[in-house]
Parts: sequence; C-alpha cells; structure tokens
Amino acid sequence: MGGKAREDDRELVRCAQEGDKAAFEVLVRRHQGRVFAVAGGILRNREDVEDIAQQVFLKAYFSLKRFDQRAAFTTWLYKITVNECWDLLRKRKVRPLVYESELTEEQGEMYLATEQTAEQTRDASEQLETKQELEEWLNCLDEKDRAMLVLKEVQGFTVEEIAAMMEINGNTVKVRLFRARQRIAERIRRKKRAARA
Amino acid sequence: MEDLPKGINMRCEDFLSELEKIPVDAPATRELLAEVLEEARRHASECANCEEAVRVLAETREALAGMKAGKTEPGPWFVARVMRAITAKEEEIEESRNSVWLSVRRLAPRMAAFAAVVLVLGGTWAMELRRTDRQTKQPEKNAAESLFETTPSAPLNDDIVASVTEEPQQ
Repeated sequence: MGGKAREDDRELVRCAQEGDKAAFEVLVRRHQGRVFAVAGGILRNREDVEDIAQQVFLKAYFSLKRFDQRAAFTTWLYKITVNECWDLLRKRKVRPLVYESELTEEQGEMYLATEQTAEQTRDASEQLETKQELEEWLNCLDEKDRAMLVLKEVQGFTVEEIAAMMEINGNTVKVRLFRARQRIAERIRRKKRAARA
Repeated sequence: MEDLPKGINMRCEDFLSELEKIPVDAPATRELLAEVLEEARRHASECANCEEAVRVLAETREALAGMKAGKTEPGPWFVARVMRAITAKEEEIEESRNSVWLSVRRLAPRMAAFAAVVLVLGGTWAMELRRTDRQTKQPEKNAAESLFETTPSAPLNDDIVASVTEEPQQ
C-alpha cells in the first residue's frame, strides 16, 4: 500500500473517529476487496465470506475510537478479519475450506453456471473433480499453513502482510510456506507417478 | 523462530526471499525466474535446493490456479449493506439505551409510591419495635434494681419477743 493511500486512510480514520460516517464509507469502499480476499483465503464459502466481511466492518466501526493509528489501518483491519474467521471456524468446528466439490452435483452445476469465465464451457464434472483434488491436497496441511498458502498464492498477499495479520515473524511465514508447498508438490508428483503407472 | 529447512544456507535464504516476491499474477509459472534478479537466476542454476524450490513454487501455483476463478469478490451492494447494518446497530443501541431510561421514567411514580409505603411501614414497625422493647425492658430493670436495693425489713419477731420478755424483769 502506497504512502499516500496510507496518509489518506489516516485522515479518513480520524474523520470517522469524530463521527463522520461518510469517511468510514470511503474506507469500506476502499478496503472491501482485500477484506474479502483475507476472509476468502481462510473460509472460501461465499456466504461466510460476505457475513464475516460485514462483521469485520461493523466491529471496526464500533471500535474505531480505540484504534490509536500506531499501525496501519489495513493491518488492523486484516487482523480483525483473521480473528473473526478463526472465531467462526472455532464455533463451527468445520473444515475451513468449502469448495464446490462439497456441494451436490446439482448445486455444483448451478454454481458453475453463474461463473462468467472461460472455464464455463468445460465439463462441470471434470471441474468438480479438479476442485476435489485440490481440496485433498490442501487438506494435508495444517489449518494455518493452508490459510497462509491461499493468502499468498491465490489472494496475492505479501509475506509481510501475512506475517502482520497472523501476528507471526516474517521468516516463520516463509519457512511454513516453503514446507506447505513442498508437501503439496510431493502429493502432485505422487499422483502423477500413479497416473503414469 | 523456526529454522530454515536443511541445506538452505544464507545465500539460499536470500534467493527464497526473492522468490517470495514474485507476484501471483506473474506472466506464467514457467517463467517465474524471469521475475527475479539475474544474480538469483544464476544462483538457482547452480543450487539444487533452490532449483527445487522454484519447481515446487511453479507446481503449487499451477495447482492452485483453479482457485483464482472462484475468488470471492464483494458485490456492488456490499458497502450499502455494511452502512445499513451500522445504522441498524446504532439504532438498536440507541433504542436499548432509551428503553432503559423510558422504563425508569415510566416506573418512577410507582417506585416513589412504593418507597413511601415502605418508609411508612418501616417507620411504624420501628416505632412499634422500640415501644415493645421499652416495655419488656422495664420489668427487667425493676428486677435488677431489687437485687441491690434493700427495702427496710420488718423487725424480727424474736427481738420483740425478747424485749417483751425483758421488760417485766426490769
């Protein structure tokens, strides 16, 4: 995030802390995409992601007065998002990643029908199979490693951003990413070997 | 801090840091190394561990590429939904605050009447208690006094008898 945008955020936060709702609306508009990306990296279920994102902004609005701006607004917001996601997962005690493969065939087809992508033309069952495979690979990882990997490789967050939102050291993130990738690559190779045999 | 995997020395660590900086939307996973510095590229060609790291990164990115299509993006109505939720929550807070105050105000005359009744009853009861207490203490006080106060006793009959009998002797 650029310095200017960060300065803008500071000013908007200051205005919002004084009760300016329009300023907060600008902050929501500006950061909604990244909040969705963080929540999407951990939860993946669209309804959950939307609910959590709304919850995050509500929480941010009502605790904004306590935010002292020592950290960047985005770092604070991502931390709230990560905590809300872990809370939801703890409450539900379900697997964090819900893919289309978990839907019924009918639901899966409906989901695919809504996707306006080039992949739309591909065979739905083939796509579901791929997703299921992907889920299997990711399931071999620890919950946090999986979230880190998705945040990094799918949502495009930097190591520093992930470290800040998960409140861990940057080097730890690198090492855990390295190991997570190795495990997935190993599974992919094993599968390829099995297919060849 | 966790240790780096075995076989990764300082230079390799620098290389891995370079590798992590390659954006996910890099042109193609096969061209990952085109994104890093020439020096890092040379290192990767010489170091088996780092070459393997590049391969692993490429494979993982390729495998996860399918997930990008299903990325959840906020809808155009999302901001409005958040702002509506904030307004609703504020109203709810305000309403609950008002309802507490309203119920206090509504109950105030009744509470005053109740307090008055309690005061009268309590006062009466206290007065009554004090009165009965005083009454029960009175005989006790008298009894205590009789222990120490000696009432003039009647002369013993013997003395009288004696004096009566003594008198004729004189």
